[in-house]
Amino acid sequence: MSQIISKPAIRRLVELWLRQGKRVIAPVQVRPNLVSYQPVRGPDQVLLEGFVRPLNSIKQVVFPRHEQLFQYRVRGKQIDLLPAPLPDIERIVLAARPCDAAALPILDHVFNWEFRDAAYNRRRELTTVVTLACTEYDAHCFCTSVGSRPDDTRGSDALLLDLGDGTLEVRHTTDKGQSLFAGQTQASTRTAPISPGPERRADLRRVSQSLEQAFERSEWAAWTNRCLGCGACAFGCPTCHCFDMVDEGGPTCGARVRNWDACQFGQFTLHASGHNPRGVQSQRQRQRIYHKFHVYPKKFGELLCTGCGNCTRNCPVSLGVLPVLEAMQAEGA
Amino acid sequence: MLQPLRETCRRLLQDGTVQVVIGYGQAVRAVEPYPVFITAPDDVGQLVWNEQCRTNLVKYLLRKEIRALGKPAIVVKGCDERALVVLQQELQIDRSQIVVIGVACDGMDEPRCEVCDAHQPRFADHIIGHATNEMQPAERRYAHLGEFLERPLPDRMAYWKAELERCVKCYACRQACPLCYCERCIVEKNRPACLDTSATLKGNFAWHIVRAFHLAGRCVGCDQCSRVCPEGIDLRLLNLSMAREAEASFGHRSGTDPQAELVLGSFSQQDQEQFIR
Amino acid sequence: MRPMTNIYQPDLMEVLDVQQQTADVKSVRVRFRDEARGDDFHFRVGQFGMFSLFGYGESTFNICSSSNWKDFVEFCFRRTGRVTEALWSLEKNDTIGFRGPYGNSYPMDKWVGKNLIFLGGGIAMPPLRCAIWYALENRDQFGDITIVYGARRVQDLVFRQELDRWAEYDRVRVVCCVDPGGETPDWTGEVGFVPAVTERAQIPAENAVALVIGPPVMIKFTLPVLAKMGLADRDIYTSLENRMKCGVGKCGRCNCGPVYVCKEGPVFTLEQLKSLPNDY
Repeated sequence: MSQIISKPAIRRLVELWLRQGKRVIAPVQVRPNLVSYQPVRGPDQVLLEGFVRPLNSIKQVVFPRHEQLFQYRVRGKQIDLLPAPLPDIERIVLAARPCDAAALPILDHVFNWEFRDAAYNRRRELTTVVTLACTEYDAHCFCTSVGSRPDDTRGSDALLLDLGDGTLEVRHTTDKGQSLFAGQTQASTRTAPISPGPERRADLRRVSQSLEQAFERSEWAAWTNRCLGCGACAFGCPTCHCFDMVDEGGPTCGARVRNWDACQFGQFTLHASGHNPRGVQSQRQRQRIYHKFHVYPKKFGELLCTGCGNCTRNCPVSLGVLPVLEAMQAEGA
Repeated sequence: MLQPLRETCRRLLQDGTVQVVIGYGQAVRAVEPYPVFITAPDDVGQLVWNEQCRTNLVKYLLRKEIRALGKPAIVVKGCDERALVVLQQELQIDRSQIVVIGVACDGMDEPRCEVCDAHQPRFADHIIGHATNEMQPAERRYAHLGEFLERPLPDRMAYWKAELERCVKCYACRQACPLCYCERCIVEKNRPACLDTSATLKGNFAWHIVRAFHLAGRCVGCDQCSRVCPEGIDLRLLNLSMAREAEASFGHRSGTDPQAELVLGSFSQQDQEQFIR
Repeated sequence: MRPMTNIYQPDLMEVLDVQQQTADVKSVRVRFRDEARGDDFHFRVGQFGMFSLFGYGESTFNICSSSNWKDFVEFCFRRTGRVTEALWSLEKNDTIGFRGPYGNSYPMDKWVGKNLIFLGGGIAMPPLRCAIWYALENRDQFGDITIVYGARRVQDLVFRQELDRWAEYDRVRVVCCVDPGGETPDWTGEVGFVPAVTERAQIPAENAVALVIGPPVMIKFTLPVLAKMGLADRDIYTSLENRMKCGVGKCGRCNCGPVYVCKEGPVFTLEQLKSLPNDY
């Protein structure tokens, strides 16, 4: 026995959620060849089919690209700090891909590692994630190489699966998902087929071992030479979370803010003394690979990667983690 | 054209004229060609040439990691080549230390290709192939931009507000641009901090306008900025508008004449100064 | 740890005192404006804090006061960049921000009963100073104490007056040196680089641990001297520096291989350091 819902009914739900003052984020056709997750103003913007996956990720919903930490005000010798109010608007992410949702429980580890990031946790509480299982993939997808699949339910509150005729099967995952779809679905005997997903190219959960030995290899330059040092991979990635903290404003009033940052930028690890432990691009690329496939699993037991392929899709020169790891493995690492 | 290209590169490497060839490679058809750096003559088989070779490789002549590979040969299309000319005029490269392999191009299916007048490279040391597409007349050059600029100002402002709202400050535009080569970009300086580095509307406007200003009279219209933007922002419109202005006001079209003087890098008694009374 | 607090928001601190140590180094004493917070606060020597000047940003400094001192927290900085340039104009009663204490600490409890060797150069004195004062204030717990500290010139020595005071303590030997050419006519200390001076000093290594902090070149040449003296890698300690922003293990900037310097450092043994990749 399954539960199904029609696509028009989903769109009516979107209308309801928006009227309730909730924020709805979904895949939107931004340009003829660009689909990305955006807050929607109306149900017609929501894409429920016809794309592989958006070029950005849903991490922005819990970890915005710009965030005020607190405001400061200086009057003479008197300084007042005003903490940023905790978020309070409910968010619903609709039609997220499983590789985006899976990133959220992965990010929970670092944002709660001894020191708990209150704003991040509050946004996680306020967010319900409804995923849409994949029926197609492209040359960059590699979820099956990191232990995931097109119908992965990690991080998802409800999983939608396309039945191919304008209806979707709804598989509840959590209480949050149940409360969203309660009374909105019909019982059915139909169940959606599961796509096998992209062919597995490697088991990247095992690459940590070879990375242990590969740090000093001179081939890092050859494997990553075309990297231009922008942040397109990091910012499109569902799991990258490096950030910068900077004071914005002036000496009398302003705010300390947090912005997305990327380990690929030349100044990321530059010391005030002028010393830079990662002054060459291949060292910075190596860091990205290590952080995702060696450091994070060592610390938190999970890869910092869901195999979505956005790094390569967004890269001006089609680099990204899979090409680098495949180059490494081709040379017997 | 692929065979002559590979042969030329093989010879250059074999006889030691260059130590590295910067060209296009492609592992699988489904993924667009990307830059490759060939150092062994036998590896020239990695080089490809097709209608997807959209990257402007000239940027790599400025990357220290690539400079370390030795004297380069570089594969350029007519549009890419213009950046080479500007870099030479700005004393960023020594043209005599680079072997330029110009490849004739009939278009990469990008907006600038429709109005291209540089299908055949002009300043290369070796020319591969012959373009069959006609050169477009000069009047067509800023056709797309012209259409856009005809829209009323409030419309254009609304357009840029909507577009720049999506900018995440990844700086792919800057990193891909062959003419952005400051060791320390203005956004990386903090004494003083001139721009908000945040990806807010204010910070995004500041960045893209300042970058357009810094490209005034220099942008060659290679369109990498638009191509690489992960948010699909059509940045070429901003940067080309300054190029159009440079041509209108100073008769200067960057990267088309190695003998021409830089428009913002030179002064002439004949410069129009009607704004000074 | 305060519950449900904004972990990125600093405590407000009142500047009590500013001392100019050298032409470009100052030390600053601050105390919590919130007295209750100050009473609650404690740290272990070796830990660091994020000190901020609102409108300019935050900087990472070791807390260079002894953990036994309850009335203030002290830090020391060189005027180098935007934040430190602004810190340079601090005066009594000014307000700055403080987040901390972060990181691990010197294992003073493990060092009980040992002879302590402190080696440092230039601006590396402050992170040694907190441990030295702690050891002197708990004198009975530790064996012989040897301090070798050097700077380029006499006027570059930081906390110079305290060096003289330390020498007066029981079983404490202070060897102070300046680089050749950095001495003044009335200089009575050693002349030479820290590694060479250390070797000349013939410090007994039996039952000893060493804390070595300084610029990379000094460390590079001091370590072989310590090995020659017979110190094992696990008995040689240092404090690493890395560029930091959040200080709490989240912003992804300070890791050295699998180790986050802000959480699992900055104090490391040489044994631990040798197992880390060349990423610092």
